[in-house]
Amino acid sequence: MKGWVLLTACALAPSLGVAAQPSSPAAANDSCLKLDNRVLGPRTSDRPLPLLSGDAIHGFHPACTVSWRALSPRNEALAVTGCFRGSLLQIANDSACGGGTGPLWVSTRWVMTSAELEKPAAHAATCQQLDTGAWAGTRAYEFDCVPQKKELNAAGAPVAQRAGSSAGAAGAAALAGARTAADAHAAGAKDADAKAAVAAPANVTPATTTDTAPPR
Amino acid sequence: MGGAARAGGGLRDRVAYGVRAALHSLLLASVALFFLNFNLLGTASPSKRFSQDLVYAWFGNEAWLYPRSAAGAAHGGAPPRVVVVVIDESALALRGARWPVPLEFHAQFLAELEVLRPRAVLLDFLLIDPAPPPDICELLMVGTRLRRAGIQLYLAVTTPADLDTLDAAGCRTGDGRPLPAAQVFTTVSVQRQVDGSDFVSRRYPFEQRASESAPGSGLASAAVRIYCDSERTPDACLTRLTAAQEPDAGFELAWTPAGDPFNQRWSQVSCNESISPVRAILNQPALPRESACPPVATLFAGALLSPEQDPALGAGNEDLFALADGSYLMVGGNFRGSGDLITTPLHTLLPGVYYHAVALENLLAFGGAPKVRKEFRSPRLAFYGYDLLVLWILAAIFQWRQRLVQRVHPLDRSPFQLSDEARSWLAPLIARFPTPLWIVTAAALLLLFATFRALQLIGVAATIVALIAVELRVAPRTEIRKRLLGLLLYLGAMALSLAVIALAIWIGYRWLRLPPGDWLGYFSFVAFGFFVAHAAIAEFGRRIDELNVARRTGRGAT
Repeated sequence: MKGWVLLTACALAPSLGVAAQPSSPAAANDSCLKLDNRVLGPRTSDRPLPLLSGDAIHGFHPACTVSWRALSPRNEALAVTGCFRGSLLQIANDSACGGGTGPLWVSTRWVMTSAELEKPAAHAATCQQLDTGAWAGTRAYEFDCVPQKKELNAAGAPVAQRAGSSAGAAGAAALAGARTAADAHAAGAKDADAKAAVAAPANVTPATTTDTAPPR
Repeated sequence: MGGAARAGGGLRDRVAYGVRAALHSLLLASVALFFLNFNLLGTASPSKRFSQDLVYAWFGNEAWLYPRSAAGAAHGGAPPRVVVVVIDESALALRGARWPVPLEFHAQFLAELEVLRPRAVLLDFLLIDPAPPPDICELLMVGTRLRRAGIQLYLAVTTPADLDTLDAAGCRTGDGRPLPAAQVFTTVSVQRQVDGSDFVSRRYPFEQRASESAPGSGLASAAVRIYCDSERTPDACLTRLTAAQEPDAGFELAWTPAGDPFNQRWSQVSCNESISPVRAILNQPALPRESACPPVATLFAGALLSPEQDPALGAGNEDLFALADGSYLMVGGNFRGSGDLITTPLHTLLPGVYYHAVALENLLAFGGAPKVRKEFRSPRLAFYGYDLLVLWILAAIFQWRQRLVQRVHPLDRSPFQLSDEARSWLAPLIARFPTPLWIVTAAALLLLFATFRALQLIGVAATIVALIAVELRVAPRTEIRKRLLGLLLYLGAMALSLAVIALAIWIGYRWLRLPPGDWLGYFSFVAFGFFVAHAAIAEFGRRIDELNVARRTGRGAT
């Protein structure tokens, strides 16, 4: 009995593929973790698929762009061997971009999965908004996303399949590092930009610009 | 013979009279021009700019003012669409990254954007801090791939030397050749301009250059460069837009109060915020309320990276491709506390990348001939001369109307003044009451009108009706007829002035490319109030003219 359970667990492990993934706040909600999830094909046949290499610990890197035919010459579904925050799927192919890339990942935006097809239909909900407030404080504020059911009017926008509830948790996780914020009030935009630049020690800074007011 | 001489003399007199009348009008128009542009210590600038904002708030959706139908149509021969792609904390989290955006994220993201087959991509991020060489090379390699696919790449820089950081990595192509960053990215300036009076970004610079350097020698601004690269002769386009401009010159941004319909999928507020001009002018002479729905189509990076964030882009990404295929993608950041925000006239605070997106939309909408203020034009005198010409015609209409009114009613120039009969009837009526009583009553009524705006219209209407009733009761019929004729003359002259102003605006906006702030002032001369107030100057000029004529004819000056 004990051996049988062990055997079953071993058989399921490749399909789950989560053991090697670091835990993340959103991981628990990842729909791609579903048992026997498979990539069925591209969402659009005439566009190439951008593939990534790497992993969550060392970061992801663009590997190459290939057609679905190159990934699955016989147009068969590909097993999902891992996933990252519902956005990236690790596929059972590590040679599509040549040797030495390691396991390859593809965005859920470009492929259809079996797990996706099994989801119940629901109204679309968005957690996106422009953050145009002027803040004076730390950047450690965490604003959880509260999806609201929302009818998409007109233009024939198809009804979505699932609310993006994981996005809020993921966004909140990204806000972990506290950093002094600039007072980005419009009237003092120049000052705010300067403060923000000082407060950003890392390698890339949003392209804030210099305000120039001409003599009137 | 004598008759012919008399006729010739009459013609000469009429010509001389016409010339003198024209000169008197010119004098009045010159004074009007001075006051129209009188801006002591910049005090007139805020009202001028606010008036312009009102025009865009009321008419910004009208094609004659802002023909941006191109912005909403991606296909069918229309110019390409401009799309803002917003990277925020949520999008970074989807790739395990966090702010500030690491280069490896940019590389991944460019690879994802390649699938959309855009026409061009602007990265509104300054890549100026040191990064691991492999990450830099990876970004340049992906960029090279996009270039080969025909996708133009633009990178925001403060100076061209910003690329030195990327070049320090010593990246090489697959076949071992050096891969300089300038080969991958076209550098563009993202310098911002604001109006000094209120810090609102209404202008967009043509280029970034030092004041001592020659026009056209600077770093072209993002929207200008992107637009010109889409032209058949990019260099000629750049030269045209940057030539003969002052260092701080910029073009005026037209705005629409409505949000882009695409944004309705994520915006919690209505993107169809339109105001009826008639309703707005009558009831709401103010700017519309802040709209959180931006005027440029906005795609969140999170929605691109994960269908769960925006599942409504189509099972086959149909809506996504319809939006982005062949578009200009302006990629910018929207991070809490980054400070990269602009103050706009109609949409208040927006992430800085919208500044470049709206500027590019303006260039596309106006066919590369955006609106530029008089103060940045060359030769400047010619544009102010155009103002003088318009005012001259308006002053001539005013004087023509004055002459006609004097013929009808020599003693009473204004059709709105009370007649002597009405004054004689009203004065004894009011005099029945003690002076303190009627003055205090009048003051109290005016105080109420001043305090409660709703009473103002009622008060004015009631006063007009009462005065007309008094006039009809006490004034002789001949007087009423003359008054009506005077009123018709006044309205006719006003209609003529409006027609002249409409023509002047059409020429000024369409052909001379003057923004609304430069021609709205004409409307202050429609009702002749300015000319009436300054008629004494014309009278003084006429008096001097008469003295001059008398001196020349030998009658001597008095």
